[in-house]
Amino acid sequence: MAEKGVLEGVRVLTLEQVHALPWGTGFLADLGADVIRVESPDHLQDRKAGPFPGGQAGEEWWNEAGNLVYYGTRNKRSLCMDVTNPRGKEVFLKLVETADIVTDNFRPGTMQRFGFDHESLSAINPRIITLSSTAYGYTGPWRRAGSRARTVDAACGLSYLTGYEGGPSMRASNNYMDHSVGNNVAYALLLALYQRKKTGKGMRVDLTMLETGVSAVGPAILEAQRGITRDRLGCAHWWKAPHNVYPARDDDRWIVIVVSCDEEWDRLKTAMGSPEWACDSRFDTALSRWRNRHELDGLLGEWTGQHDDLELARALQEQGITAGACLTAKDLVNDAHLKDRDYLWEFTNTRVPEVGPRIFAGRPFRDTGNPMKISKAAGLGQDNEVILSELAGLSQPEVDDLETEGVIYGAPRPDEPRP
Amino acid sequence: MSGILSELRVLELTHRPSGAYCAKLLADQGADTIKVEPPGWGDQSRHEPPFIDDEPHPDRSSTFLAFNTNKRGITLDVEQEAGRDLFFRLSQSTDIIIESHPPGRLAELGLGYKALAEDNPRVILVSISYFGQDGPYAGYQGDDLVAQAMGGYLYAVTGSAAKPPMGTVLQQMEITAARNGAVAVMAALLRREQTERGTHIDVSTMEAAVSTPSGLIHPYTYTGRNPHRGGSDGNVMDGMHLPTLDGEVTLTTAGTGGRPMQAWAEFLEEPGLTDPKFASRGGRMEHWEEMYSLVAPKLAQWTNLDLMRETMARGLVIGLVQTPTQVVESPHLEERGFFVELDHPETGPMRYPGSGFFIDGENAMAAARPAPRLGEHNVEIFNGEMGISLRELGLLRAARVI
Repeated sequence: MAEKGVLEGVRVLTLEQVHALPWGTGFLADLGADVIRVESPDHLQDRKAGPFPGGQAGEEWWNEAGNLVYYGTRNKRSLCMDVTNPRGKEVFLKLVETADIVTDNFRPGTMQRFGFDHESLSAINPRIITLSSTAYGYTGPWRRAGSRARTVDAACGLSYLTGYEGGPSMRASNNYMDHSVGNNVAYALLLALYQRKKTGKGMRVDLTMLETGVSAVGPAILEAQRGITRDRLGCAHWWKAPHNVYPARDDDRWIVIVVSCDEEWDRLKTAMGSPEWACDSRFDTALSRWRNRHELDGLLGEWTGQHDDLELARALQEQGITAGACLTAKDLVNDAHLKDRDYLWEFTNTRVPEVGPRIFAGRPFRDTGNPMKISKAAGLGQDNEVILSELAGLSQPEVDDLETEGVIYGAPRPDEPRP
Repeated sequence: MSGILSELRVLELTHRPSGAYCAKLLADQGADTIKVEPPGWGDQSRHEPPFIDDEPHPDRSSTFLAFNTNKRGITLDVEQEAGRDLFFRLSQSTDIIIESHPPGRLAELGLGYKALAEDNPRVILVSISYFGQDGPYAGYQGDDLVAQAMGGYLYAVTGSAAKPPMGTVLQQMEITAARNGAVAVMAALLRREQTERGTHIDVSTMEAAVSTPSGLIHPYTYTGRNPHRGGSDGNVMDGMHLPTLDGEVTLTTAGTGGRPMQAWAEFLEEPGLTDPKFASRGGRMEHWEEMYSLVAPKLAQWTNLDLMRETMARGLVIGLVQTPTQVVESPHLEERGFFVELDHPETGPMRYPGSGFFIDGENAMAAARPAPRLGEHNVEIFNGEMGISLRELGLLRAARVI
């Protein structure tokens, strides 16, 4: 939490799991909101998902996972409480009185079953903003279906269009859509807060993964209505050539090169020392390069194959040519540019000091008015007592009682298997 | 205009899809968004195929049409002094300016943050570039493919392990940068309400690619293993696309109560799937070809929509691999009122996607307008709103300023 963050004083209760919603509420936490992750002792899969140091879950595995720091509980507080227990429910509703936002990613119907649907919560607190992040939304025939990020890549049209040239469709990503949806969650919540300042009224946000996905493939949606189809082209382009990924000298090292016009082609030719093949008239114009792009890619690949990818990319960029090495995570951690921009954030989770300092990706935007950093990653139930006494007004004996009765937890149940 | 941001004015001076899409996100929520294009040629994406009905025309590029809804359009050459003056005047009544010049170029033109904010301290300037405003790569040339490469997406996320890196389509890194930009803008707007001061936001598309799609960095620093592409290779249950009667589908082991193969064996009526060798993920990968031969013929008996309905009824989680046409014709999206029909004078009516969320049941796109034609609002804005005489506009046009 940044000191005096812009969202200081904004409280978010979030019933969140997996990836998309925690990523979204993570932005609010970074901006200073008091984001309370209300966790169930029965669903610890996020805390089991890792990554763990050296790939091995340790003694206090439930607080060790890197994903918790990256988005799960980063800059948030944790209340581990069974809200399906009547006393847990009572406490949750008390917290709603003090909250600005309640978010969830259950399938439609679950919040209503708990008594936490928008109507019930706004009866308690008319200023409450609720956001449900679901696969397909609260209405429509698919509303009861679940999803994973890649099933949404598939359903929105992105994966159908993704694939090697001439090959079958392939999943576009493993969890790109989770992050994309999370960004949309953050945008929608900030919009809702902005609106509420004007109206003073709460509102209900029905946000879906499918529709976020479709909104990202707009051009294909328009094309489809007029019978235009897109062939799968791998890294090749509709009309640019060269525009592809080319082998570099070392094993599994690659470089992309993009040429958008004749002037850029001339620059690339010069950079290659104007070899005979490149001066062939087949490659003189944008149209002829595109028509002969398979041969062009092959010949260019023979040239790139003699070079180190990082050195070649730098040399080409210095000559004004659009190019970049295919960087790996290891490359990125050591990347001079990212270091220079303080993009890589080192964080030591004092809750589990044996994990030691680790490097994380930072935020891809800078605003001196809204600085961000990772201040903490909440351990399971770490903030139970403070939240229950200060926000829900419970006495210490009442808190102890909830613990004895198995309503709140500060650690997994003893029989919970280590991941 | 109605909408949450309807009291705000946005000026868009961008050359790349990231800036256009970021401005669209704000425009779709009601901000009065003015797109500033170079006279004559306009935004580069106007000239990039595919074109609606295949006719090359500056108002028919699908990318331009999709990324510029709800904007008004003017032309202005900010490389000329008269153009800069007009831009500066406009900027003084503007809340948010989105630009994508090479880092430093705007300041060279006298339109840097300092100059813009001197008399308009509430202005929020958003600079979206491929590599950010500083650092060793700041002067590099980029595009979506370069961002996928240098952001780690190509090497690790899509594609097959045994093949070259491969990325995804439709400029997703540009869109990711845009979404991050919109979050930063909203945070800055809320901050401005407290301080009465704007700010300069620096968005990097490369960094958006690193931080957003996949979380490459910390999986590496925790485990020492360098993430590598190929996660869907031979992954029948959790990654591959499998043919159906009328399309393709991707399965998951979710929603099966921890007994995925029993649940799928029952659903597909294929008892062979309960063989212990398929019980673990590793076992399924090891024997994937055999598994495929059991699963594929069963799936091939289903149509996509039937399969979706029946798996949903049992709590199983799948994804239909939909073509864009199937998305447009989706009965689900139809019932939700997600698509909004906009009638553009050049292309005729078409259905455009909404924003991904409904607030109190409202689709923000319901009152939308289609992308502007080049210079469509020149007279409305320069003459009607800024009070420049038509005669003077004529001179500016002759001088190719507008």
